Amino acid sequence: MSPEEDHSDDAALAGEYVLHLLDDAERVAFERRMADEPALRDLVREWDEKFSLMMQDIAPITPSAAVKTRLEDRLFADTPRSRSPWWNWLTGGVVAAGLAVGAVLLMPNLISGPDMAPTFTANIAAEDGSLIVTAHFTSGTNRLHLSRQIGDALPGHSFELWLIADGAEAPVSLGVLPEDREALIDLPSELATQMTNAVLAITDEPAGGSPSGAPTGPVVAAGPVTGA
Amino acid sequence: MILQVGLGDRAAFSALYDATSAKLFGVCLRVLNNRAEAEDVLQNVFVKIWQKANLYSANGYSPMTWLITLARNAAIDKLRARRGGTVDIDDVHDLSDDAPTPEAEAIASSERARLNGCLDELEADKSEAVRRAYLDGDSYQDLAARYDVPLNTMRTWLRRSLLKLRECLSR
Repeated sequence: MSPEEDHSDDAALAGEYVLHLLDDAERVAFERRMADEPALRDLVREWDEKFSLMMQDIAPITPSAAVKTRLEDRLFADTPRSRSPWWNWLTGGVVAAGLAVGAVLLMPNLISGPDMAPTFTANIAAEDGSLIVTAHFTSGTNRLHLSRQIGDALPGHSFELWLIADGAEAPVSLGVLPEDREALIDLPSELATQMTNAVLAITDEPAGGSPSGAPTGPVVAAGPVTGA
Repeated sequence: MILQVGLGDRAAFSALYDATSAKLFGVCLRVLNNRAEAEDVLQNVFVKIWQKANLYSANGYSPMTWLITLARNAAIDKLRARRGGTVDIDDVHDLSDDAPTPEAEAIASSERARLNGCLDELEADKSEAVRRAYLDGDSYQDLAARYDVPLNTMRTWLRRSLLKLRECLSR
C-alpha cells in the first residue's frame, strides 16, 4: 500500500464499515476503535450523510396499518397508563447502561458521622460515557452532593438535573449543574422523601436551564437511585 | 420531533411514525424486497428510534440521515441473516427505481447531484459496485462474483473508489 493510501486508510475503512463490507472480526475491531476515536465516528457520519442521499430516490411506500398497532403494543402495552412517559424509556437501555457503568464513588473523607453518611447514591451516565455525574444524597441533611466526573455542557447550554420519583407523572427540576465539577444542592424535604427507586436524569437545556420548568432538551444521561 | 420522542413523548413518536414510516419502509423494502420482512424490520427500527432518540442530539446526524441509516442498517442485517437465501436484484430494481415521487424529486438537493456527479466520475462498474453495496447490501463476495474478479481485487477496487469519491466530494 502506498503511503498516500495509508494516510487515508481510515477514510476508506469507515466507508467500508458504512457499506457493511467489513467481515465480523474487522467490524468488531472497528467499532471498538470508534468508541474511543471521535475522528472515526466523524468519518462514519460523513459517509452516512453522503450515502443516505442515494435513498432520496427511494419512493415512500405505506406499510400496513398493523405495523403501527403491533409497534405500539410492543412498546406501550405493558406500561400502566398512570406512569410518566419518562419512565418508559428509562426502563429501557438507559438504566441498564447506567447500572453497567456502575461505579459508585466513596464519599469524601471530610464527611463523617452516622447522620452524614450518604443514604442514596446514583451514577448518572450517558450511554456512550460522554457524561458521568455521581450523586450522593444524605437523608440527615437533605443534601445532594454531585460530582461531575466526565463531560461539559456545550457553550451556550446548561445541564439540568431532574428527579423522576417512582411512579411520578413528570420530572422535577433539581436545578442547573454549575460549572464547578463539585456541587451541593439542598433539597426541600418533600423531594427528599422521594429518593427511593427514583431516577436522576440530566438534559441538555438552554443556558440557565429550561425556560418552562419542564425538560425541553434531550436527555443526555440518566441513572437509578440506589441505597448506599 | 426526535428530541420530543427522546423525552418519552408518545404523541411525538406517533407523529414521527406517521411522517417517516413510508419513507423508511421504502428503504427497508428496497434492501429486502420482501414485504413481510420489511415490515418486521420497520417495526424494530421504530423500537430502536424510541429507545435511542434521547441520544440523538449527541451524535451530530441530520434527522433524516439518522432515521434512514437506522432503517438501512437494520434491513441489511436482516438480509445478511437470511444468508443463503437469494435476492432477485432485478426485482428489487423494478420495485423502486421506476417511481421517484414528486416529493423525492422536489427535495433532490444539490448535495445529491454532487454525490451523483462524483459517483459518475468513477468508472461505470465501480460506481455501480458502490451503489450495490449501499442500496442492495451486496457483500464483497457478491460483488466479486458479479464482476468476476478475485475478492482481494474487488476490495482494492472498492477502497480506491471510496477514496476517489471522498476526494471528489471534498473539492
